[in-house]
Amino acid sequence: MNCSDCKELIGALMDNELEQTRAADVREHLAFCPECAVVCEDLTSILDACKTGTSDIVPPNSKALWLRINNVIESDVKTAPAMPPPPAPRSWGVSVLRFSAAVLAIAVISSTVTYFALRNYVKPATDDLAARSSATQTTFEKVLSKIGLIDTPQQARERRLKEREAAIEYWNARVMTRCPQWDRVTREAFDRNLQVLDESVKDYTTILSQDPEDELSGEMLDAVMNDKMNLLRDFADL
Amino acid sequence: MPLRPKNVFCRQAAVKTTILLSVVFFFALFSGEASAQKRFSKNYPAGQNVRLRLMNRTGTVTVEGWNKAQITISAELEAPAANIVPQNLSGVIDINLLRDNQGREIGNVNFTIRVPFTSMVDIETRIGNLSVTNIRSALVRAHITSEGAITLTNIEATNVAADNTIGDIFFDGEIKEGGTYRFSSSKGNIALRIPFSASFKMVATAPSTRNISLGSFANSETNYLGDGRRVLGKFNGGSATITVTNQRGTIAFLGR
Repeated sequence: MNCSDCKELIGALMDNELEQTRAADVREHLAFCPECAVVCEDLTSILDACKTGTSDIVPPNSKALWLRINNVIESDVKTAPAMPPPPAPRSWGVSVLRFSAAVLAIAVISSTVTYFALRNYVKPATDDLAARSSATQTTFEKVLSKIGLIDTPQQARERRLKEREAAIEYWNARVMTRCPQWDRVTREAFDRNLQVLDESVKDYTTILSQDPEDELSGEMLDAVMNDKMNLLRDFADL
Repeated sequence: MPLRPKNVFCRQAAVKTTILLSVVFFFALFSGEASAQKRFSKNYPAGQNVRLRLMNRTGTVTVEGWNKAQITISAELEAPAANIVPQNLSGVIDINLLRDNQGREIGNVNFTIRVPFTSMVDIETRIGNLSVTNIRSALVRAHITSEGAITLTNIEATNVAADNTIGDIFFDGEIKEGGTYRFSSSKGNIALRIPFSASFKMVATAPSTRNISLGSFANSETNYLGDGRRVLGKFNGGSATITVTNQRGTIAFLGR
């Protein structure tokens, strides 16, 4: 018999389950093999300890013990105060209302900035806006004009006309200093052309006084005033 | 009865005096004409992409395109004769009579200028007629500050502008794809003769007369606005843009 066979049969030997001949062989090997003998001694002492300690571990009344444990657990559950939930990690959670307001604010601000940036970039404001009708205004422009951020077409036209009138006054003064030096042909031509332009200005002004919403007349008045200014400016050089 | 020697001498002296006075009077008259009407002439070699820029004061200006790589400038100067100092700067022929005659009175200057037909033409005057013909380039601009007629014929340019205060404007030419055409007058008649097949969108405004004749261009894609004071139209796809404004005159579109 070798050591592995002996170790496998040691347990059966302790329980008296081996035949006599087989048990004799195991005992013979244990007598000559100190290693297997140590294993056999260890196993014997474990079995002895189990047999002697069982009476200390087993409760005298296991049912009563479990009842007490159960009562303790139930009383702890009932009397334990409601603990606050652990603090959640800080998040960006906001209400829908706040979120909507933030989005709207960003949209309005960015639109306003974009509008004024484009308006200043392409510089259409003075000429085009003055010539535009309220019907061709975008909704955004109407809103801005309502709250006073931009001029309405009528206001833009009036502002533009005032600027033109100021320029015309300046160039007219220059022409007055130059015209005595003109020849007769130049003077007569200037007077004829100025008269034609003044008649147009008078016509459109009359129409607009009766119908301030007549955007076509407003546009034409603006154009004629521009022509008059150019006439005075060009003849001021002569 | 035979003449006496003294009478013969007197008669011969009278004849001589008469002939002498006639000669003096003739030369005086001729020299007077010469001082009233001077001529100016100058030639430049030119490439195909030359630009003519002319600023006249009073007088007529005629610009003709021709198939030569040369610019000829000729002018008739009425008294007091103007100074004409053309400048040739990197492909731009610049003639500016206002700059060259600051502070002095000058008479009419009537220009006749021939340029390569591919030249850009930008001419301007304070008073007088302007005429441009046979030009095929990117720009034709004719501006009269006050009165004078503008005649643009046989023009194939992508950008055309003509405006005056009093006077007729006539355009006969092609409408180039994507081109811009602006015609404006305060009192006169504006007539545009363009091909039937031209592709353009149009804004024509005649607020005083409301006389806007579309002729054969009248179709369903026209809208009359402001009680007929303005007509919007789109023809053959509307590639180019034509803007016509006549404050106190008529507008006519003529198909060809």
